[in-house]
Amino acid sequence: MAVSVRSSAPPWAYSGLIWNFAVRDVKSRFKGAILGWAWSLIVPIATVVIYSLVFSVIFRTTPPPMANGKPGNYALWLLTGLVVWTGFSSTITTGVVSLLASGPLLQKIYFPSYAPVIGSVLSSLMQTGIELSIVLVILLAVGNVGLSWLFIVFWAALFVVFVGSVTYILAALNVSFRDLSYLITVVLQLLFFLTPVIYPITLAPESWHGIPVRAILELNPLAQFIESFRSLAYAAVVPGPATWGALLIWTLVCLGLATLTFDRRGRDIGEQV
Amino acid sequence: MTDAAIRLDEVSKRFWLAQERRTGLKERFVRGRGSKGKEFFALKDASFEVPRGTTFGLVGHNGSGKSTALKVIAGIYRPTSGDVMVDGRLSALLELGAGFHGELTGRENIRLNGAILGMSRSQVDAAMDGIIDFSGIGDFIDTPVKVYSSGMFVRLGFAIAVTVEPEILAIDEVIAVGDEEFQRKCFDRLYELRRRGTTIVLVSHDLGLMEEICDNVVWLDHGEVQAVGASRDVVRGYLDRVNRREGQASHVDPTAVSAPDGSGEVRTGSGDVRVSRVQVLDGEGAESVVLLSDDPATVRLHYEALYDVPEATFGVTFVHESGVGVAGPNSSGQGPWHIEQGVGFVDFHVDSLVLNPGTFTLSVAVANRGHFFDQAERQATIKVRGHGADEPGLVRMRGEWTHVSGPMANHDEGERHGDGG
Repeated sequence: MAVSVRSSAPPWAYSGLIWNFAVRDVKSRFKGAILGWAWSLIVPIATVVIYSLVFSVIFRTTPPPMANGKPGNYALWLLTGLVVWTGFSSTITTGVVSLLASGPLLQKIYFPSYAPVIGSVLSSLMQTGIELSIVLVILLAVGNVGLSWLFIVFWAALFVVFVGSVTYILAALNVSFRDLSYLITVVLQLLFFLTPVIYPITLAPESWHGIPVRAILELNPLAQFIESFRSLAYAAVVPGPATWGALLIWTLVCLGLATLTFDRRGRDIGEQV
Repeated sequence: MTDAAIRLDEVSKRFWLAQERRTGLKERFVRGRGSKGKEFFALKDASFEVPRGTTFGLVGHNGSGKSTALKVIAGIYRPTSGDVMVDGRLSALLELGAGFHGELTGRENIRLNGAILGMSRSQVDAAMDGIIDFSGIGDFIDTPVKVYSSGMFVRLGFAIAVTVEPEILAIDEVIAVGDEEFQRKCFDRLYELRRRGTTIVLVSHDLGLMEEICDNVVWLDHGEVQAVGASRDVVRGYLDRVNRREGQASHVDPTAVSAPDGSGEVRTGSGDVRVSRVQVLDGEGAESVVLLSDDPATVRLHYEALYDVPEATFGVTFVHESGVGVAGPNSSGQGPWHIEQGVGFVDFHVDSLVLNPGTFTLSVAVANRGHFFDQAERQATIKVRGHGADEPGLVRMRGEWTHVSGPMANHDEGERHGDGG
């Protein structure tokens, strides 16, 4: 009997709206920049060059060997992990303010508060998708390819849901605690070094003063995502069920928390922004 | 039970008036969660229903809960208690162009806004040409909206919102946009939607418009429903209350009636006689700054005379808010008065106030044959309110209308000429 505008329509009923938000974000991102889209390639390439110089020349880190039997290539190894990391961190940084930025709109028209956030996440991950494809093309060019690549689809599905959920939670909290967006910049920097992006996890000591450092680092969901992608793309090895299980659990936990956040906070966000 | 498109049942909406918003983590940590602040009901047990296919208005003073009610209907706010039923696809028009992104072109923004308003991609594509045509944006449709003039911006916003073909349309004070021509187009479109059976819910301060366009009106005051019913009756009731309140407010604040020797005022003249206070009395002889057109009214000039003045004439000028001096009656018709040293007052009384609704200031003067004893501007402000049907212009010109038709018409003209001679 009680029909409301706030119908309990499922999220996919808003796919058109989410897509339009994503298109808006993509189109507006590089408008006004002379090099435009090229920046989305220049930035990661420059990062790879810098880290390659520092870690293969100065620190002389030995990367794990490649799947095609050749000795490890630090730049390629770094690239596979860095692209995933950049996808995570840039999605969070742009997504965490997306809800606040949609504030004027949320006060005027009802739509679920996850729509602009997911739109922002998708637009950011679209770029990550392009970067990942380029990494795969490079790996293919050096003959480093395997059947494990087929599993990247599943990995990507989990990654999108995981990043999307984390971003929504942070974006919703950022409406009430506006310090969050600043705090996140700091935390991401810390997380970057706590995650085996620029160094192999084997470099971390098993135990340090009795603290199981490596096990702690491996608990980090991001470490799981990066390690498993490297395994799939670089080493061409399908991770075991334990790794997949961990990825799935992390993703489902974050999705659950995001749903809870939407129920508890997301429905009244139009009044707070 | 009638067929209602919208029904509010004992709906309340509570807000917390925090003295200071604790949106920072530091503040939460340092001072804890703190009390939630003072509670404030923007809507209090409001119940009304909007019959399907009718046009419904919400009136009330600022902060009466009109916009909150509209936002509850539009689903932007969740009611704190009570039930809201909205049956039909709703398009809310609370701010034109709210969803526009400056960097995107007009066309891209149409797609985005169409999606926000709940249209599918194919629906937007089908409506695209109609929207562009209605907005009158022309070739600018493919340039980013950040270069649009504000008029173009709202025109495009309106065009999108009314092309959505909603079953229920909620509008908040946004109809009067664009130039005269576009406004007419907007109203034509609204009337067309109304004819086609769209339920329209409207918030506006333009009471004339509300009376004209709405079938039913609800009058809200501090979040509570004062009256619901036929638009004419409810708007009248609301107007009466406003007029009465305004009158009462002026009693409390005597400076609103007159400001003798107030700072910065222009006061000239020799000062033998000064107008010390200006009182405005309504038809019942009560002091009021609100007068009604066609009702009796009195302007009372209290004076103080320092010396005996054998001959003096009092005058008062009515200046409209636009700066136009509408009338300047003076007492010379009654002959000059002998004013003895001391105090007294003179009255200027009209049986029927010929001023049209508006705000007028009163300037006063006391003079004798070109010599001014006192001359002061803006000694009082009066607000004239109408009884309903407003006429254009500053004054109400009295006259009789007659109607003649048929062959008599020409004959009549000749006769009048004869009379004049």
